[in-house]
Amino acid sequence: MAITETRPETALEAHINPWDAGDEYPSVAAALGSGDHKTIGRFYIGFALLFGLAAWAMQGLSMLDAGGIEVLPDDAVGQVYTLGRFALVLLFAVPLFLGVATYVVPLQVGASTVAFPRAAALAFWTWLLGSVILVVAYAANGGVGGGRLKAVDLSYLALGVIVVALLLGTVCVLTTLVALRTPGMHLDRVPMFSWGVFVAGSIWLLTMPVLLANIALIYVDHRFGRPSEFGVAALQWSQLQWFFQQPQAFAFAIPVLGAVGDIVATTSGERQRHRGLLLAAIGAFGIFSFGAFAQEVFNEDVWEQVLFVGVGLLIVIPVLALLGGWASTLRAGKVRLTTALLGALTAGLTLLVAVVASGLYVIKPLQLHDSVAFQAGLLATVIAAASLGAIAGLHHWAPKITGHLASEGLGKLSVLLGFAGAMLAGLPLCILGFANRFDGINDAADALNVVAALGAASVLGALALTALSLLAATKGPDAGDDPWNGQTLEWATTSPPPNGNFATLAVVRSAEPLLDTEEEQS
Amino acid sequence: MAATHVLPSPAPIQRPRMIMVATAFVSAAALMFFAALLAIYLTNRAELVSVGERWLPEGVDVPLQQPNVMLFTLLASAVTMQWAVYAIARNDRANTYLSLGVTLVFGFAFINMASYLYSLMELDIAASQQGVLLYTITGAHLAMVVAAMVYVLIMAFRALAGQQGPHQHDGISSAALFWHATVVVYAILWYAIYVTK
Repeated sequence: MAITETRPETALEAHINPWDAGDEYPSVAAALGSGDHKTIGRFYIGFALLFGLAAWAMQGLSMLDAGGIEVLPDDAVGQVYTLGRFALVLLFAVPLFLGVATYVVPLQVGASTVAFPRAAALAFWTWLLGSVILVVAYAANGGVGGGRLKAVDLSYLALGVIVVALLLGTVCVLTTLVALRTPGMHLDRVPMFSWGVFVAGSIWLLTMPVLLANIALIYVDHRFGRPSEFGVAALQWSQLQWFFQQPQAFAFAIPVLGAVGDIVATTSGERQRHRGLLLAAIGAFGIFSFGAFAQEVFNEDVWEQVLFVGVGLLIVIPVLALLGGWASTLRAGKVRLTTALLGALTAGLTLLVAVVASGLYVIKPLQLHDSVAFQAGLLATVIAAASLGAIAGLHHWAPKITGHLASEGLGKLSVLLGFAGAMLAGLPLCILGFANRFDGINDAADALNVVAALGAASVLGALALTALSLLAATKGPDAGDDPWNGQTLEWATTSPPPNGNFATLAVVRSAEPLLDTEEEQS
Repeated sequence: MAATHVLPSPAPIQRPRMIMVATAFVSAAALMFFAALLAIYLTNRAELVSVGERWLPEGVDVPLQQPNVMLFTLLASAVTMQWAVYAIARNDRANTYLSLGVTLVFGFAFINMASYLYSLMELDIAASQQGVLLYTITGAHLAMVVAAMVYVLIMAFRALAGQQGPHQHDGISSAALFWHATVVVYAILWYAIYVTK
């Protein structure tokens, strides 16, 4: 594409990293007003991890309550459940990956800045504001089916603001990927994570506006109507829940596939085998996760439609292809068992479990689509896979983000906890989905729910450990510019990168430019 | 640091077409938003009509004359918008400002006619799902028209300041792209909401 023939302009003064100004601590105004993609990325990661802890806590509380242990007041059960869903996706998974992408993607494609730095900053602060307002509105007895009308209005307004902000952030990252790549880096040469973000961002860009349309109708009906149809308290959640179900839930795990690809290739020291096939597999996974059509409330017999059943079954194939591709790369290279690799592999396995569950879900005779438990289990498994992918990614890119290596000990412990949690948080609920066929399962419903709550607590613990590991890293030894013997451009600059990211860059000639340089020198 | 730092001589700095790409993404998101709203509108209408009921409530009449005028206003504005792109690419300043101005006037005329149409319809938003759907969809489109007008206005000022010219007119081109997306959305709404009631 012609636009990559010249290097993009260098960062403007307004986009300078406030931590590079020379002072020990930057002024508040400089930090809050920064359009530096590394600063914005760090903010996203920090706040999304915080919200993630809260989200998994709410998931755990909901499951405990479903398991017969009354930890929530009766009138708050539904609200904690729905806020937990919003938090897992819109306050945790999507912004966390958007944050990592805002930080890493410009480095990976050799850009000096994210596209539209001020818009990216605006997106982050708007998302944060919307998220806080959403939590406050829920606390004031608002939210889906809430008791106080004005607070309900406010929570839908906040949801709309969050979705618009995330869309804006997505547009900035996508534009970086399309328009700011360094010379020679064709779109099929971008690193796997950037490709994953490209696919994920495209799917988010096409599906989140549909959620926004649902939110707009509920808001207008609730605020100005009587409400007559969309805003009726009992009907609100049914219009929104497609966003958290098969197949849309998988859209929030797409960047994981890219992150795993980068980590596997880097730790094995080999060029990724069958790279084109894996790029296509991530693309196919993205296409199969497009779920805007599966709105049961308007598309009643969606369960019987070929499209729905087809994508539910087909989505297994790209995951198998990716696992095969990663395995062949690992076999070819010398594997170092780092936290990042362990996290990446467990995230891949968790996603495999999730897509198998998706395959079962769409088989109509099993009647799983009537089961709220199975739907909750599917989402929990996918978001747990996203959490594991995030743990892996944060440990992998910690040198670039903090300048130091994250703690391997804490990291491995968090992967262990995270994987145990991922299996326990979702699978018991999926088993519970079969309760309509096997009475024995029904008898064990309480125990299964409590196990799922323990699983959620375990993922929560894993995320907390990862946050600690990152914080502890800032006191640890310097990582050096390229601790993993990296293959892609983010490892060709200092840790953390300077303003403008790169002094100069060679023209890229393959998907692994740093290996090219090594080979030339030897 | 790896020794990748051997560059060919630096190319002259040239702003890539970021704004065009970003506008295309935003337009795609906006199209999906209206597609979702329209899908719900048409589904609910078909459901009601299939049981033999009328879609619009008793006493509500949505005329076609005003929507027709609005459609032709926007179609004309698409022409003037493209006129602006053509003129700026050839550094014809007078025609650029004139065409951008006329486009904005068409935008105002559209909003004016839309508010008149609202007053004619006598559709109560609180009474029915029809009101909620109709006002949400057309209201959101009005917001999109206003956003497009602000976009055009900003680019007009940029052109006045000399930031847009024959070698650099991505701003006006991308404003035109968003404007055309607005027109396309209205053309679909016009058929789906006003023609087939």
